[in-house]
Amino acid sequence: MTDQLLFTLDGKVVSARPGETIWQVAQREGNTIPHLCWLPEPGYRADGNCRACMVEIEGERVLAASCIRKPSPDMVVKTATDRAVKARRMVMELLIADQPPHEDSPDRVSPFWHWAEVQRIETSRFPAHGIIKPDLSHPAMAVNLDACIDCGLCVRACREVQVNDVIGMAFRGIEARPVFDFDDPMGRSTCVACGECVQACPTGALMPKSIVDPITQHGTREVDREVHSVCPYCGVGCQLSYQIKDEKIAFVQGRNGYSNENRLCVKGRFGFDYVSNPQRLMKPLIRKPGLPKGINVDPANPYTHFREASWREALDFAAKGLVKVAEQHGNEAIAGFGSAKCSNEEAYLFQKLIRTRFRNNNVDHCTRLCHASSVAALIEGIGSGAVTATFNEVEHADVVMIIGANPTENHPVAATFFKQAAKRGAKLIVIDPRGQAMREYATYMLQFKPASDVALLNAIMHVIVEEGLYDVQYLQAFTENFESLKKHVASYSPESVAATTGIDAKTIREVARTFGRAERALIFWGMGISQHVHGTDNARCLIALSLMCGQVGRSGTGLHPLRGQNNVQGASDAGLIPMFYPDYADVKSDAVHNKFEQLWKTPLSEKPGLTVVEIINAAVSGDIRGMFIQGENPAMSDPDLDHARAGLAKLEHMVVQDIFLTETAMMADVILPSSAWPEKSGTVTNTNRQVQMGRKALPLPGDTREDLWILVELAKHLGLGWTYTHPSEVFAEMKLAMPSLDNITWERLERESSVIYPCPAPDQPGEAVVFGDGFPTQTGRALLVPADVLPPGEVPDDEYPLVLMTGRQLEHWHTGAMTRRANVLDALEPGPTVSLHPRELARHGIKPGELVRVTTRRGAIELTARADRAVQEGTIFIPFAYVEAAANILTNPQLDPIGKIPEYKYCAVKIGPAHGDEPHVPEFDIPVIASGL
Amino acid sequence: MSVEQKTQGDGGPDRPARHVGSRKRARAFPKGRQLDVEALDEVRALLQDRPRRHDLLIEYLHLIQDRYHYISARHLKALCEEMRLPQAAAYEVATFYHHFDVVKEGETPPPPTTIRVCESIACAIKGAESLLAALKSGVDTAKIRVVGAPCVGRCDTAPVAEVGHLFVDHATPERVQEVVRSGKRESEIPRYETLAEYRAKGGYSVLEKCRAGKLPFDTIIKEMTDAGLRGLGGAGFPARRKWQIVRSYQGPRLMTINGDEGEPGTFKDRYYLERNPQQMFEGALIAAWAVEAERIYLYMRDEYPAVLDILAIEIAALEKAGIIEKGFIELRRGAGAYICGEESAMIESIEGKRGYPRNRPPYIAEVGLFGRPTLNHNIETLYWVPEILTKGAKWFADHGVNGAKGLRSWSVSGRVKKPGVIVAPAGITARELIEMAGGMEDGETFKAYLPGGASGGILPESLGDLPLDFGSLDKYGSFVGSHAVVVFSQRDDVADIVINLLRFFKDESCGQCTPCRVGCDKAVALLERRQWDKELLIELAQTMRDASICGLGQAAPNAFISAMQFFLDERLGTEMAGRA
Repeated sequence: MTDQLLFTLDGKVVSARPGETIWQVAQREGNTIPHLCWLPEPGYRADGNCRACMVEIEGERVLAASCIRKPSPDMVVKTATDRAVKARRMVMELLIADQPPHEDSPDRVSPFWHWAEVQRIETSRFPAHGIIKPDLSHPAMAVNLDACIDCGLCVRACREVQVNDVIGMAFRGIEARPVFDFDDPMGRSTCVACGECVQACPTGALMPKSIVDPITQHGTREVDREVHSVCPYCGVGCQLSYQIKDEKIAFVQGRNGYSNENRLCVKGRFGFDYVSNPQRLMKPLIRKPGLPKGINVDPANPYTHFREASWREALDFAAKGLVKVAEQHGNEAIAGFGSAKCSNEEAYLFQKLIRTRFRNNNVDHCTRLCHASSVAALIEGIGSGAVTATFNEVEHADVVMIIGANPTENHPVAATFFKQAAKRGAKLIVIDPRGQAMREYATYMLQFKPASDVALLNAIMHVIVEEGLYDVQYLQAFTENFESLKKHVASYSPESVAATTGIDAKTIREVARTFGRAERALIFWGMGISQHVHGTDNARCLIALSLMCGQVGRSGTGLHPLRGQNNVQGASDAGLIPMFYPDYADVKSDAVHNKFEQLWKTPLSEKPGLTVVEIINAAVSGDIRGMFIQGENPAMSDPDLDHARAGLAKLEHMVVQDIFLTETAMMADVILPSSAWPEKSGTVTNTNRQVQMGRKALPLPGDTREDLWILVELAKHLGLGWTYTHPSEVFAEMKLAMPSLDNITWERLERESSVIYPCPAPDQPGEAVVFGDGFPTQTGRALLVPADVLPPGEVPDDEYPLVLMTGRQLEHWHTGAMTRRANVLDALEPGPTVSLHPRELARHGIKPGELVRVTTRRGAIELTARADRAVQEGTIFIPFAYVEAAANILTNPQLDPIGKIPEYKYCAVKIGPAHGDEPHVPEFDIPVIASGL
Repeated sequence: MSVEQKTQGDGGPDRPARHVGSRKRARAFPKGRQLDVEALDEVRALLQDRPRRHDLLIEYLHLIQDRYHYISARHLKALCEEMRLPQAAAYEVATFYHHFDVVKEGETPPPPTTIRVCESIACAIKGAESLLAALKSGVDTAKIRVVGAPCVGRCDTAPVAEVGHLFVDHATPERVQEVVRSGKRESEIPRYETLAEYRAKGGYSVLEKCRAGKLPFDTIIKEMTDAGLRGLGGAGFPARRKWQIVRSYQGPRLMTINGDEGEPGTFKDRYYLERNPQQMFEGALIAAWAVEAERIYLYMRDEYPAVLDILAIEIAALEKAGIIEKGFIELRRGAGAYICGEESAMIESIEGKRGYPRNRPPYIAEVGLFGRPTLNHNIETLYWVPEILTKGAKWFADHGVNGAKGLRSWSVSGRVKKPGVIVAPAGITARELIEMAGGMEDGETFKAYLPGGASGGILPESLGDLPLDFGSLDKYGSFVGSHAVVVFSQRDDVADIVINLLRFFKDESCGQCTPCRVGCDKAVALLERRQWDKELLIELAQTMRDASICGLGQAAPNAFISAMQFFLDERLGTEMAGRA
């Protein structure tokens, strides 16, 4: 045991592991020394400032803070001497002097009061300070600094753990206190409401508002029970714990999952009250006859267009309508949209239902709209559509490229790991037309011209070839087609693309050298790469770049398309894709076909089905006439919404299974009210390939049903003899179809909550990094595919001079169905905005905050102008979550020829004054601090 | 179909569908404070092509404060943008240091001129309070701000006021008003020995010998050991031991010079720098040579504007003379924080952060500035180095009396006839120092003294014959520290002195650790009471001494503990009850 050292702790010889502190050894030995500023959780460094954990070390003049002091060989430490005990008690007594009384505390069960009780200190002999007013400016969090002990955990939470850098410890001495930005009210600061500070605070000075009395500011974190689950929002897949009181989620805590290490973002922490929003659908609904279908129903009052029905009637109605369409127009007239927001088991059953009952493959989901092109390029290049390395591998990378992704908004917890990597010294290369928050941590921020990805990436590869920075050995061992790629990129000198990309040749060369010389480099990308008519080409370039430098298959290297939804990886794996059965088994392959016909004991179609946008087009043309849509909202998410909505409205029979009257549900013939994520159990697979367990935490409200039950009952009404009663049974069947789930069982997931696939053995963790020894392609080698520059589907001209990019924002998830019904998220971003550079606004004579009209060849919307310096001139940005100004009314439905993904990231647009037909809306109640402009 | 018609939605009127969310109006800007483009231009103009390194934050805050006499939120935000620094990180630094005035949106900026009146003990007993009151009521507050300030290191000319950067010694309200009217605000550089003059009398010959290999490291260490030179910033750690320790760690190594002489009653470093700065520089370069430091950072307190000017001139002279390479000595300006005299706090400050002392271990000799092994020395310590190596260890060591070794520069102030820096042997007594300072002022009787500024406790006249040196006062709960002796007479109230000292510590506590932050604050509250709670004060003192991170909190109770120990019979026990 050379690494261990021996010392004496309270008379006993104990050993310390390398790096361990006295506190940690003592705790291991069963003695938890009082502690306040020390939080024994991942990511929190000891700071040794509160002095609540003092111990005596023989031969030293003063006491030592055990949380930060490391033992040295033969040190003699005493934790219980009179001197140490007195010092610890005096520290508590000093702090209690300025605390509100225990019964008036914002958190009656805080660690602070716990340690006061343990040391039997109820009052203080010292005079108290005056009262500090609470800061209640933030919709999610209450700040009561009279309970603050200046321990700085909130600062470490904000600065070092989440790296949001909003909280500092300002002023000096007794005046020192945590501040937001320049001592601004929290609600007016740059706070992104990740709530890490709230989770870290040991006194209740920072609390979720949901558990603090709004008037008295008395509160408690005491709850009845907790349920461990996983977040329903983005693909990061944060593990969390619902804290449940009176059968409601009182608040949410992050849990130490592989992908989040206790961290959450604003959605995962404060975005759960949508489940009890009054607009929840509580009863099955059947459409009243004779009313036009459209975006014309008040989601708070569906009864203008729908009537309540019993489950029996609704299921019967739903099934009969689909059967009727199939009988009259053939099975090919039926299509289904499953959802990346549902569980693996639900996704599996959904595709099985469509495929086995209607014998077609017209089943798809929103992966088509986000990473279809990435997956196409990955399967073509390396034989697998999933990430080659978890994003946590960033810890080991020395160069990190983030391109066409805005992780601080869309993968906020993953972003914290990227920012930490940059702070540790990894070089961050951020490539995006928008100057996002990640730029503050970037070594290189290439704010290039939209849609010039291929030119830029080819030029980077050009330099790498020219300067011989590629990995010859790797290329020889694991790839093919390098020679043709080499020839191809020869014509893309940095000088030749400088004008196209807006990036000077010198910078391109530096970036290429940085990447080319990296020991370990990771590439992350998002929808800025995939959502183009040349999305597949964009991804091909990234794959080629990574492979030519040998940056796949080792720790700290890899290709990682950041998956959007919580289960988009899992839903794709489970077969919600028109050309693949589960585990990407080609529907055209005879062997595959036979396997699934045997497994499902029914004949299947070998013809690939239609994709999302193709299905909508087929609905418009009348080829698709019946649809089953579970938890998707194409009436908001598809491009060129007027067209898409018209297609949906034209369907003869549409069955929608959802928790709200979404814009899609408004046009349904029958609506089956289902369960929200915390109301059911099931597994989901995140961007890291972690299969994770979601557990039921809340009872089903009203007459709603779990999604799995609805699927099974609908299948029964459709004549399929399904008997599943629990997701575990479905999971067991999935394992028969999906080798990727080898060594992962339902029981294991219940026990461990999360297992990465592929997993080599039942008792071993899954593989964070794959393809260290070749690729699952026919040759075992990866294919380098050269890509040429293609123009976007629609370029600006005199009439439509600007470029429109759409996307998401931190607070709103996808089409807003859940998040706009979550009070905190709604309060933070209550309405639609179009962001422009202040100079672009000025050029158009528009003041920030004014209503403007944005028009493309497909439609127009009116919304608030937001002055945002991050948006480059000549471009505008609109998030697509807002029905009242739906960005997708504007977008171009033109598809990438391979991935079949629409070009959400580029179309020609113009902006002008509003026509004033916007209904009056109340002013926003969290004003910003505008010192300029 | 026209675009306008299409927006109504194909499925019919879409108004009712908008009932999602609160439907309030969205923000016109991204979250938080927005950048003011004009302010950005102004900040860029100030920074010019200076590097945007985060460790230079305090320097750049000075640029803004100097130019605009305050730091507006718009400038601070612009600075953050320019330096890629989070707002909170800049704000916490700007508000930590008392010489920065951060003015937020909607707040009134301070007037262009600030008068600082020293309130520390040497000035306090010479009427600082009434001076402050008179000035506050006697100036146009729209044009001039009058504030109290901690020790400005001119205790020998107390009371002192500073108008802008111009000091008024022996200040009276009239003399200060006169300076105000004169319009002069900049410091006056006193006549000092320049590089040329220093070299003319043989300066830098020791350094040359070192660099030429004629004075090997081991020889120097032997000399230094024999001389017994100790760290004269207050801790008294043998200088040569520091050199050996720092040199034992893997390079690259750095060196810092601590010019943050803030201990009330101390002004010896200023004394040397205003007279013979190059002797200190030669000492510094010898030390840097000895530990093979790659660079020297000289941290000078902002309260010494003349010294800052002198140092800038003399560093340039050294560069020009080829004695150092350009940039080898980097001058850093403090910003009004006593705590930065604590070496690890000073290092944090040089790194552009708040002056928070670090937990030890690791010690700065191993993990110091920018994480590197760092040699840190006080000004006076370095000042003696060339002289010792020229005149020999024996010359220096032989000066000590009463068993002590070496010479010390005693800052003597208070009720003596000729206050000032007195170079006298280590081990001398207070009574002897009073004699050397011309004796007590007429009509004053020696009653008490501070042997080591605000931190070293207070001792009665009856202990005036104790030899003063490192360690010699341990058994009295007292120490000499920076050798700042403040002398009190029968007219000075010990309780008032103690409260003054504790208020100083309360104001200057960095706020990091509980025992010091809350302890100093509560101590002041307890001491201001009519009756002192002796038991509670002793308990509090024990925890402050045992559990504070650095010497500030550990030493702060010395004043009231020694007062209770030595002055109980006189006033504190019996008459304290009657205090107003």
